[in-house]
Amino acid sequence: MGAYIVRRLGQGLLVLLAVSFICFVIFQYMGDPAWALAGRYATPKQLELVRQKLGLDKPFYIQYIIFLKNAIRGNFGMSFVSRLPAMQVILERLPATFELAFMAMLLAVTFGVGLGVLVSVSPNSLFSRLIMAGSLIGISIPTFLTGILLIMIFAVELRWLPPFGRGEVIRIFGGWRSGLLTWDGFKHLILPAFTLSTYQLAVLLRLTRAGMMEVLGEEYIKTAWAKGLPPRSVLFKHALRNALIPVVTMIGLQFGELIAFSIVTETVFQWPGMGNLLLSAIFESDQPVIVSYITFVSLVILSLNLLVDLLYVFINPKIRYA
Amino acid sequence: MRKVGIVLVAFGLFLGIGVGAQTIEKVVIGLSAPPRTMDPHGSDADSNLSIMSNIFEGLARRDVNGNLLPALAVSWERVDPYTWRFYLRKGVKFHNGNDFTWEDVAFTFERLKDPGVSEFLATGQLVKSVQPVDGDPWVIDIVTTRPVAWFVQNMHQIFIMDKESTEARSPGEVASYPIGTGPYKFVEWIRGDHLTLVANEDYWGGPPPVKKVVFKEIVDSFTRLAAIETGTVDIIQDIPLELFDRAKANPNLLIVTRPARRGMFLGMKQTPEYPMHDVRVRKAIYMAINVQELIDKVMFGHASPAAQIADPPTVGYNPEIKRLPYDPETAKKLLAEAGYPDGFSVTLKAPTDRYPRDEETAEAIAKQLAKIGIKVTVDAKPKAIYFPEVTHHDVELYYLGWFDGAYSAMRTFTKLVHSYDEEAGFGLFNAGDISDKLLDYLIEQSDTIVDPDLYVEWSQMTNRIAFEWKVVYIPLFYLEDSYAVYKPSGINFTPRPDTWMTIVDVIQP
Amino acid sequence: MHRGRVLRHFLRDPSAVTGAAILLLFVMGAILAPLIAPQNPYDLETLRLADSLKPPIWMEGGERPFLLGTDEQGRDILSTILYGCRTSLTVAFGVVLVAGTFGMVMGLLAGFYGGFIDAIVMRLADVFYSFSTTLMAILVLGLLKQKGVLVLILAISLTDWVRYARTLRGTVLAIKEEDYIDAARALGAPTHRLIFRHVLPNAVPPLLVVAAVDFGVVIMLEATLSFLGVGLPVTEPSLGMMISIGRKYVYAGKWWLIVFPGLALTAIVVGINLVADWLREEINPRIQKAVKGR
Repeated sequence: MGAYIVRRLGQGLLVLLAVSFICFVIFQYMGDPAWALAGRYATPKQLELVRQKLGLDKPFYIQYIIFLKNAIRGNFGMSFVSRLPAMQVILERLPATFELAFMAMLLAVTFGVGLGVLVSVSPNSLFSRLIMAGSLIGISIPTFLTGILLIMIFAVELRWLPPFGRGEVIRIFGGWRSGLLTWDGFKHLILPAFTLSTYQLAVLLRLTRAGMMEVLGEEYIKTAWAKGLPPRSVLFKHALRNALIPVVTMIGLQFGELIAFSIVTETVFQWPGMGNLLLSAIFESDQPVIVSYITFVSLVILSLNLLVDLLYVFINPKIRYA
Repeated sequence: MRKVGIVLVAFGLFLGIGVGAQTIEKVVIGLSAPPRTMDPHGSDADSNLSIMSNIFEGLARRDVNGNLLPALAVSWERVDPYTWRFYLRKGVKFHNGNDFTWEDVAFTFERLKDPGVSEFLATGQLVKSVQPVDGDPWVIDIVTTRPVAWFVQNMHQIFIMDKESTEARSPGEVASYPIGTGPYKFVEWIRGDHLTLVANEDYWGGPPPVKKVVFKEIVDSFTRLAAIETGTVDIIQDIPLELFDRAKANPNLLIVTRPARRGMFLGMKQTPEYPMHDVRVRKAIYMAINVQELIDKVMFGHASPAAQIADPPTVGYNPEIKRLPYDPETAKKLLAEAGYPDGFSVTLKAPTDRYPRDEETAEAIAKQLAKIGIKVTVDAKPKAIYFPEVTHHDVELYYLGWFDGAYSAMRTFTKLVHSYDEEAGFGLFNAGDISDKLLDYLIEQSDTIVDPDLYVEWSQMTNRIAFEWKVVYIPLFYLEDSYAVYKPSGINFTPRPDTWMTIVDVIQP
Repeated sequence: MHRGRVLRHFLRDPSAVTGAAILLLFVMGAILAPLIAPQNPYDLETLRLADSLKPPIWMEGGERPFLLGTDEQGRDILSTILYGCRTSLTVAFGVVLVAGTFGMVMGLLAGFYGGFIDAIVMRLADVFYSFSTTLMAILVLGLLKQKGVLVLILAISLTDWVRYARTLRGTVLAIKEEDYIDAARALGAPTHRLIFRHVLPNAVPPLLVVAAVDFGVVIMLEATLSFLGVGLPVTEPSLGMMISIGRKYVYAGKWWLIVFPGLALTAIVVGINLVADWLREEINPRIQKAVKGR
C-alpha cells in the first residue's frame, strides 16, 4: 500500500513537470507580456528594458529553469496584471470555486445516485421514463446553454433568483469567505450550482441505473428478495454497494471535467472564482497566473484521483494494492 | 418675505457647510472595467486611474469639466523650457499618518522608471531630477530631459506615493493595500467582486460628503444592467448599447450620457507595397464606409460622426473639416483609377475587448468594403494581443480609438502622424508608417510657436491638411459615455470627461 | 453480426429511429445548406446591416425571407444555423477521424507490444483522461493565438484519442487471450494479418459506440469553446458562437438569438445520443459502463 502511494506520487510529480513544460512551450507563441507592463506608450527600448527585468530576453530553457526553481519555493511570479503574487491571486479565488463545485457535486451525487436507484426499480413506469428523458437532455445540452436558459427563466422572467455574482459573503477563517452562511449568498449559489451539476447528474444517474439493473438481475439479489429482506436493505445494502463501483470511478474521473465546466459556469454567472480568473488571464496574457492555475489544478486532480483509488479499497475489499 | 427666504437659504447653506449635514452614507457603483491593481503606477488604464484618483492625488487634478486645478501643489510655473517649479501644499498627511514632503514627490518620479512596478515609464524617463529650490522643501524644480510643453497637463494622473511605507513593504503588499493622501481610505479589495473605500475624515480639503464607497466589479454588460434594475448598485458605467432601450424604459433609472472624448478611426498601412499608399485608395475606403449606418445599426445611435480624431475641446480641433461623403460609386471609380478595378484583399485588425462593440464594428466595416470589391478579412483578438501588434506596426487596416489627455491635437499628431523616429520619440503609434514631409515639418514647427493664437491656427491648419488632403486616417465616430443612476437612491451624478469615478467630483449630495 | 437482424432491431426501437431521423435532418440540412439556405451568412458582400436584429417572421416587425429572424450583423438565423451545423459537424467528423485513427494506432501498439510502449500510452491516457478533454482544449486554445476549424480539431484530438486507444487496447488484450490467436501465431501468421483478420473485426463494435458518444461530446465541446471565445472566429459563427452573440441580447428580450441555435444544438446531440444508446445495447448490453465517460 505504502509503496503504491509512493509510486503514484512519483508519477504525479512527473506529470506536473510535463504540464509545466507544456505551458512554457505554448507561452512562446503568446502575446508579449512586456507590452502589458511597459504601458501602451512604451518605446521598443523601454520594452527591451522590461524584458530584461522580467528575464523575458533570456533563452527559453533558462526561463524554464528559473521558473522551476521558483515553483519549488511556491513562487510563481507576480501577476502581470495585478502585480500580486500569482499563486495568491489564484488561491484567494479558491473558496468561491470550491463552494460552487462542492454544491454541484453534492447535487449530482445525491440526485444522480438516488434517482438512478429509483428508476432502476421500476424501469417502465411513467416516472422513470420522464426521468430518463430528462437525463438524455441532461447529457445533450452544453453547460453554458443550461446556465443561460436558467438565467433567462429564473432571473430575467420570473425574477426569483439573482443572475450573477456570489452575493453576501462572510469571513469564516483566514481568507476564506463563505457564501453558504447567508440567505443572500445561498440564493446566489442555487442557479450556478444546479447548472454545473446538470451534466454530472445525468451521467451518474444513467450509470447508476445501468449498474443497478445489472446487479438486480444477479442470483444473490433474487435470493435476498426471496428471503423477504426489506426492500431498503436489498436495494441499498446489497445491490447499490456493488453497482456503486463504476459510479465511484466515474466521480473520480469527473473532477477534471468538473473543473473545466466550472470555468464555463463561472463565466456565465460572473462567479468570482478561479475559472473566471483563468479566462481573463488568458485574454490578458497574464502568464504567471495561467501557469499557477494549471499547476494548482493539476495538483488537485492528481491528489483527488489518488484519493478515489484509495476509496476503492473501502468499497470493494477484494481490491488490494501490492 | 423674500428677504426672510434669502436669510433662511443663507442660514441653510451655512449649516450645510459648517456641520456637514449633507452627507450620503454609502454609494455602490457597478464598474464595467474592474481595477487591475491598487498600485497607482501599476496601470495607466483610465479604469484603474479612475479608482486610484479617490485614494491618491497628483500634484495637480482635473475637475468635472476637465480643467487643471491645484492639488498637492498649490501652484506651478515653467521657469525655463526644461524646468517646472512646483509650490507644494503644506500640512497634508498620508492615510498612515506620515507627512507629505518633497521627498515623496522625488521618490514617486524615480519609481515611475521601474518597469517592475510602473506603467508610466515614458513619463518617468522624461524626468531628469527633482530638487528643492534654495533649500526650501516646499518649492521644488522638476527638470525634464527635453522641453515638454504639456508636462504639467499630465500631472493629474501621476499619483504621489508615500516614500517610507512604499519602500518598507513588498511590491505585492503595495499593490494590494494602497496608502495615499486622497479623500478616501482603502478598506478591502475582494478581487473579482468588490472594492470598499471609506471617507478620509482628515482630508486636507475637508471630509468628503459620501462616507463609504463600494465599487462592484460587474464586467458582463447585461448582468451590470440587471444589478442596477434591482437596486443592488446605485450607479453603473457603460450601459450596454444592446440594452439601451430597455434601460431607458425603466422608470427607476436615470440615464446620463455625454459625448466621449475618444474618437474612433481606421488606420491604414501606407508604405509603397500597399494599395493604401495611394491617396485615391484611402479616399475610396473612406467613401465606401457608411458611417451613419455604423452608428445606427452597430452603435445603436450612441455615437456621433467624426471628421477628425480630435474632439471639440482639443486645441487644434477644426470645425471646418468635413467628412468625405458616403459614395460607393465614386469609391469604385477611385479604386479603378488607382489601378484596382477589381479591388484587393486586406486584413482588418481590431480588438475584441477594448471599445464598445469593437469587434462588431470591424465586422460591419468589412461588409461595407466588400461592396466596392475590397475583400476584408477581419482579425479580431483580445487587446493584450492586438495592441502589441499595433505598437510593432504589424497591421494593414486597423480599428483604433484615441483621445488626448493633455487636450492637444499636435501632441496626438506627434504620436500618430509624424514619421517614425524612436530616438526623437516621434510616431510611436504611427502603425501605418505614414511618412509625409509636409506634415512632419508642420508638426515639428508647432513646438516652437509661442503665440497661443498662432499655435491654435497652426494646429487647425495641420489637422485639416492631414484629414482632408492627405487622408492619413479615416475618422469614423466619437463614442458616447453612458451611465445609469438608480433614481430611488437620490444620488446626484455628474460624469467627468475622462470617465474617472472620482467620487468627490462626480457625486453631489 | 447479421445485417438484416440489426436493421430489424433498429426499426423496432422507436427512440433509435427518432434519433437517426433528427440526425439525418441536420446532416442533410448542413450538406445542402448552400442550396436551401435563404442567405450565405459567411458572405460579407450579401449581408446588409439594415437587416439586423429582425424578429422571427410571425412576430411584429418580422420580414421575409428571415423565417427565424436575424442577428446583430443582419445574418439570417435559419441560414446561420444551417451553416453553423456544417461547421459543428465538420469539427466533430474531423475529431472522430483524427483522434480515432491516432487512438487506434496507439491502442494497437500498446495492446500488441505491451511493455514500455504500453506503459507510456496508458500513463498518458490516465493523465489526459483525468484532465478531461474540455479542460485541456480550453487551456491549449486559450494559449494559442490561432483560431479555425483545423486548429480546433487538432486541439480537441490532442487528448481525445485516449478513449479510442483504451477501447482498442482492451479488445486486443482480450483477443490475445483467445486460443485461436495462439494457434495463428504458431502457424506463423504475420502481425498485420492478425490485426486485420482478427483484432479489427472484433474491435469495430465497441469502437463504434465510442465514436458515436464522442461525436455528440465533440459537438457540445466545440459549442462550449466557441462560446468561451477560444473556439472559432466570430465571422463564421458556429452554433456555440451564435449563442454567445445572442447572450448580449437576453435582457433586451431578443430570445430568438439564443433559443433557435440552442434548440438546434441540443436536438443534434440528443439525436446522436439516442443512436449511441441503441448502438450500445445492440452491441453488448454489458458494455454500457465501460464507455459512458468522457
